[in-house]
Amino acid sequence: MAVVEVEKVSKRYEERGQAPVEALREVSVQIEKGEFMALAGPSGSGKTTLLNLIGGLDAPSAGAIRVDGHDISRMGRSDLADLRRDRIGFVFQAYNLIPVLTARENAEYVLELQGVSAGERRRRVDELFQRIGLAALAGSRPLKMSGGQQQRVAVARAIVSQPAVVLADEPTANLDQATGAALVDLMRELNRERGITFVFSTHDPMVLERADRVVRLVDGKVAGDERKKAA
Amino acid sequence: MSPIPLLKLAWRSIWRNRRRTLISMSAATFGLFLVIFYSSLMSELIGDAKNQLDTTGLGHVEIYAAGYRQKPQASRAFKDPAQLVRSLSLPPGSEAGYRVLARALASSAHASEGVEVHGVDWAGESHLASYLGDLRAGALPAADDARGILVGEKLAQRLKVSVGSKLRLMASRADGEVSADLFRVRGIFHSISPALSQSRVVVSAATAQELLGTEGAGHQIVVQLSEPAKADALAAEIGRKLGPEYEALSYGQLIPAMRSMEALMDNALTVAAMFVYLLVGLGVLNTALMSVMERTREFGVMMAVGTRPRRLVWQVLAESFWIATVSAVVGLALGLLVTWYGSEHAIIDYSKRLGEGMDLGGITISSVMRTGFSIPDSLKAAAYVYAMALLVGLYPAWRVSKMRPAEALRKA
Repeated sequence: MAVVEVEKVSKRYEERGQAPVEALREVSVQIEKGEFMALAGPSGSGKTTLLNLIGGLDAPSAGAIRVDGHDISRMGRSDLADLRRDRIGFVFQAYNLIPVLTARENAEYVLELQGVSAGERRRRVDELFQRIGLAALAGSRPLKMSGGQQQRVAVARAIVSQPAVVLADEPTANLDQATGAALVDLMRELNRERGITFVFSTHDPMVLERADRVVRLVDGKVAGDERKKAA
Repeated sequence: MSPIPLLKLAWRSIWRNRRRTLISMSAATFGLFLVIFYSSLMSELIGDAKNQLDTTGLGHVEIYAAGYRQKPQASRAFKDPAQLVRSLSLPPGSEAGYRVLARALASSAHASEGVEVHGVDWAGESHLASYLGDLRAGALPAADDARGILVGEKLAQRLKVSVGSKLRLMASRADGEVSADLFRVRGIFHSISPALSQSRVVVSAATAQELLGTEGAGHQIVVQLSEPAKADALAAEIGRKLGPEYEALSYGQLIPAMRSMEALMDNALTVAAMFVYLLVGLGVLNTALMSVMERTREFGVMMAVGTRPRRLVWQVLAESFWIATVSAVVGLALGLLVTWYGSEHAIIDYSKRLGEGMDLGGITISSVMRTGFSIPDSLKAAAYVYAMALLVGLYPAWRVSKMRPAEALRKA
C-alpha cells in the first residue's frame, strides 16, 4: 500500500527580477508503507524540494501528492499542519530542536500538540528514550548535547507520534561518519521494529548503501529508481 | 489544549536574550511608574488646591446681587438673606449661610492696613469656612459680642495686634458716607492662604450691617456641598429660579483659574501618559519583533512538526503577555509603594523658601507637596500599559502566522 504518492509533480520558483527555476519536473514516485528509501542526487537536484512538497511545507506548481490517502495539494494551512502533526515526522540536517526545551520536552512537543495527556506523553517518551539510548539526557537542553545526541532527539520527536512517514533531509550531513552511521542504523532499526516509513535525502554513500531503495534525482527529474533485493 | 505548556515555552523564550528582555521590561516598568507617580502628584495638587479653597471659605456655589461682583458696593445687597437661604432647595448634606462683605481700612495703635471684612453668623460660618476652626490665639466671639473681631495671623503681625488689642475699622456705608467703629480682637486665625491671612477680618453679620448701614441685608450667600461636582448644575438651577436680580456661580466660575488648572493638568497628564504608553509599546514591539525575526527558522520547524498558525500567534502573544505582566506587576508595585510613601511624607518641600502656601491666580497651593495614593487610578494606568504591550504583540504574531514553512526553514 502506498503511503506517499507523487504524481507528475513540478515545482517552479519564480522571483521578481530573476529567471524562473524549475526545481522539479513532472516527478512521479510511489512510496510503500515500511520502506526505507533514499532520495539521492547532487546539490540542486530537487531532493529537499521534493521532501518539502511531500511534507506539505510547500505547494507544488503542478501535479498531485497524496500522503496516507490525503490529497495534500487541496488542503488548507491548518489541515496541513494537522496532517504533519499526526502522520508525518521530520528530521532536519541542522537538528532544529527548540533550544529552550529539554530533550524530553522537545520529543513531547508533538504529543502535546495532539492533546495527549502529560502522563501518557511522559510514558511514551521515556520508553522511546530508553530504546534509543537517550534516557540519561532527557533533562538536558539541546545546546548541552552533541550533534549526534541532538539528531537522535530529533528522530525521537519525529517518530514518537507513530507517523505514517518520516521525512529526513540529509540527517547525517552535520555528523561525523561513525555518528552518522549509528544514526542511520538506529532509523533502520526503528523502521523494522515499528514499520515506520523513512524517506531521506542524502548524497552520502554510507547512507545510500543502507537504504532499501534509492531514487535518484538529476536536474529535478527522476533519473533512476533502484530497489535492493531482500537479503 | 492546555495553555500551560504554551505559557511555559513563552516564558523561557523571552529569556533567550536576557539583556534585551530586561531592557524592554525596565522601560515598560519605569514608564508605568512615571505615569502613576505623575498622575498621583497632579491629582494631589488639584485636590489640595480644592481643599484650600474650602478652607478659605469659598463656596461651592455663591449667590450675589446682580452687579455686586463687578462693582462691590455696600448698597448692592439683597434684603432678608436668611429667608433667601431658607428658600433654596439644596441637596442633602449641604450647608448654607450668608455674609455681609466690605472693604475697609483697619487701624491699630501701630499701623493701618486695607482689609476685607466678612460679617458672619458665628455658629453657621464655622461650617462654611474651616479656617475659623484654626485659631492660633483667643476664641470665637460670643453670639452677642457686637465688638468682637477675628484677625488673620499675618494681618495681626502687620498691625501688631494681639488678643485684647483694639482695632478700628473704617468703611464706606451704603449711603455713601464713611463710618467707623472700634473693635476688640478676640482671636487670631491661621490660614495657609497668604492673601486671606494678611487681609481678612471677621465680625458678626449684625455689626457689619450696622457699620455699612445695610441693616437686614447681605451681600453673599455661600453653599457648601457634600458633592462639589454638582456645583455647576446647582448654580445654574438656582440662577434660573432666582432670576436676573441675582447671580449664582459655581466655584469653577468664581475662580476660572482653578478650572483652567484642572484642564491643563488633565491634558498634560493625558499627553504625557500617551507618550509613555507609546514608548512602552514601541519598546515591547521592538523586543517581540526582533525575537520573532531571529527565530524564523524555529517557527518553520514548529510549523513542520504540526503547529497550527493560530497556535503560533498565541505563542508570540504569550511572550508579549509575560513581558506585559512582569512589567505591569513590577511597575504597579513600585508606583504604589512610592505614591503611598509620598502620601505619608512630603516629597517636595518648598516651605522654607515660599512659606506654607503659594497664591496662584486665586488658588492656594501648599508648598509641601505629597502624592495621592489611589489603587484604582494606579490599576487603570497598569491596565493601559498592559493593553499596549499586548496590542503591539499582535503585529509580530501576525507576521509569524503569515510565514510559509518551507521559506522559514530556509532562513539561516
